[in-house]
Amino acid sequence: MDKPAAKKILISPVTRIEGHAKITIALKDNGEVDQAQFHVNEFRGFEKFCEGRMYTEMPTITPRICGICPVSHTIASVKACEMIQGIQPTYTANLLRRLMHIGQNISSHALSFFHLSSPDFLLGYDSDPASRNIIGLAEKFPDVALKGIRLRKFGQEISERITGKKIHAMGIVPGGMSYPLTIDNQQALMQWIPEALDAVQTGIRIIKDFHAANADMINSFATSPTMYLGTVGPHGEHELYDGLLRFVDAEGNVLQDQLSPTRYLEFIAERAVEWSYLKYPYYKPLGIEKGIYRVGPLARLNVADRMKTPLAQAEFLQFRALGNGQPVHGTFFYHYARLIETLAGVEEAAMYLQDPEVTGTHLQTFGRWNNATGIGASEAPRGTLFHHYETDDSGKLTMVNLLIATGQNNPSMNRSITDVARQYVHGAEVAEGMLNRVESAIRCYDPCLSCSTHAMGKMPMQIDIVNAGGEVLRSLQR
Amino acid sequence: MPVITVYINGQKISTESGVTILEVCKANNIPMLTLCHLKGLHDIGACRLCLVEIEGVNRLLSGCTTQVADNMMIRTDTDRIKRYQRITVELFFAERNHVCAVCVANGNCELQQAGYAVGLDHIRYPFLYPECNVDTSHPWFVMDHNRCIMCTRCVRVCTQVEGAGNWGVMNRGHDVRIISDFNTPWGESSTCTDCGKCVHACPTGAIWPKAVAQGQLTKYPEMIGELVEKRKLLQ
Repeated sequence: MDKPAAKKILISPVTRIEGHAKITIALKDNGEVDQAQFHVNEFRGFEKFCEGRMYTEMPTITPRICGICPVSHTIASVKACEMIQGIQPTYTANLLRRLMHIGQNISSHALSFFHLSSPDFLLGYDSDPASRNIIGLAEKFPDVALKGIRLRKFGQEISERITGKKIHAMGIVPGGMSYPLTIDNQQALMQWIPEALDAVQTGIRIIKDFHAANADMINSFATSPTMYLGTVGPHGEHELYDGLLRFVDAEGNVLQDQLSPTRYLEFIAERAVEWSYLKYPYYKPLGIEKGIYRVGPLARLNVADRMKTPLAQAEFLQFRALGNGQPVHGTFFYHYARLIETLAGVEEAAMYLQDPEVTGTHLQTFGRWNNATGIGASEAPRGTLFHHYETDDSGKLTMVNLLIATGQNNPSMNRSITDVARQYVHGAEVAEGMLNRVESAIRCYDPCLSCSTHAMGKMPMQIDIVNAGGEVLRSLQR
Repeated sequence: MPVITVYINGQKISTESGVTILEVCKANNIPMLTLCHLKGLHDIGACRLCLVEIEGVNRLLSGCTTQVADNMMIRTDTDRIKRYQRITVELFFAERNHVCAVCVANGNCELQQAGYAVGLDHIRYPFLYPECNVDTSHPWFVMDHNRCIMCTRCVRVCTQVEGAGNWGVMNRGHDVRIISDFNTPWGESSTCTDCGKCVHACPTGAIWPKAVAQGQLTKYPEMIGELVEKRKLLQ
């Protein structure tokens, strides 16, 4: 007798993320969830077509991977170029790069929280999907939507005030910066700080209210423990631009500390899977099964000992208290962590803008090809980003490896959607709001699929329910 | 030289004979699109952007290589000329691999400026996507054939001004390429003097210094004409 066909649910396209992907939920014979898989189904091949170019062009080419985090790519790229040349940027250039990077993080985090995720919190997971977006938010909560839009604008204006462009700015170059910050622009940016602080604190209130009202959901939402990787400063402080790496295990024990990003290949390995263009990275010493680690805001706050600024530090202590001395594993807390980072970003922006050297004009040091290998890293909004270049002795690229934050979260995203699907999906006939919860597990990570596969992104994503024979029983597509 | 009279776009102009239409236009502030022309170098009419209509002549002629004649009726601004200029610029972009967004010359490129001048908003012809070499063998400069438009300004400046004769032209049609010496890597050239004049003469991002990043490229093509004038004074 034939075995009854097991079923699968396919969510396709997944919405309100940056990129194009789908989710397949495989059901067991009894209708319960067996496993969920996150497929990224686009491919772009950036690493390959950069081969043959001059390494000095990479800070211009690689930010085109992504319109959300171009500064992180540029910074990882110029650091790799500076390793090839054996030079360091000037003090003022470092300040301006930090400001640019903070601006991009604020802009990206505001997009993730206010535009993409907050409709779930303020309008409800089960509300009409047609209006469960930033437009629907603007209709019901215009003040919140406006604050989110303005916060994003502040982040982009930092880039514009320094380089003249909001996105894909020119000016971050090997050895420093091309453009100075004028006093007029410095003062104009300082005037943003109170409004930006207010906007972030509004976001923090929204997420805390949601935590309080939905404690059961939050505390059981994709809580599988993992390791974490993030960048820290010399004293273990939270760092996005220029620190060293720290790995902690699921209990919070520091496995590696003050690790140079140039050694990333000793600790991170990747394997390909046949059902997605997104690879499966893992912590090499512990192997594929035990070496799942996460990056991004949740990871950075789990590895850091403290924040650099007072308001963010106060929130950080509340965040860490959630873990009772252990890392905070709940995937939902990515949102809270993201907002704490945004708060830190606004405070740090004020700090750097008040540095007397920020309007200095010693912007660049100069070098030429000296080393064949260049490896640079930065903390992109979604996590640790590595650029690795190998060159011939004329400076032409012979190998490019871009290890992207979303890629490193891929194993955890699969685990999280499996956790959430098991919790909310029982049989093929599930309500749309339940599937939205599965999608929202992905949205917690704020994945940028264009970056992670270097794929040209479209916003939509889908969820399919299919049986073991591959027959699609239900498809959710908007 | 005897003085003659020509009419450009209806404007009556007195000028010396023996000069080109382009020279008369420049002297009288009449705009004319050029790419292969560079003051100080012999004109060759390669780019076909300085097209003019001359009464009594059926075909379009290049202003940089056509000498004026007495009572010549010239037009530089007809719809026919504009149409051909746009086609020409589109074909430049379609022929090689021009990606302004990531080019070192972005914002400082004569081809890009020509695109703006003809109102280029899209390319109507299929891109050829040829496989082109990027010659990084020179210690200071890069020759990227993806961005070359075969204006031969580098060839002419190297021969006519520097006197080195490093650059030349190989093959025909789609396969035409600028070559160093007898098609050897630039870094192995026995004739290149590393003077950098070709870098300044190049109108696009095809020849550029390794030391600069996007937004930092400063080319000074006028230097070539000034050098030629200074040398005349010394003779």
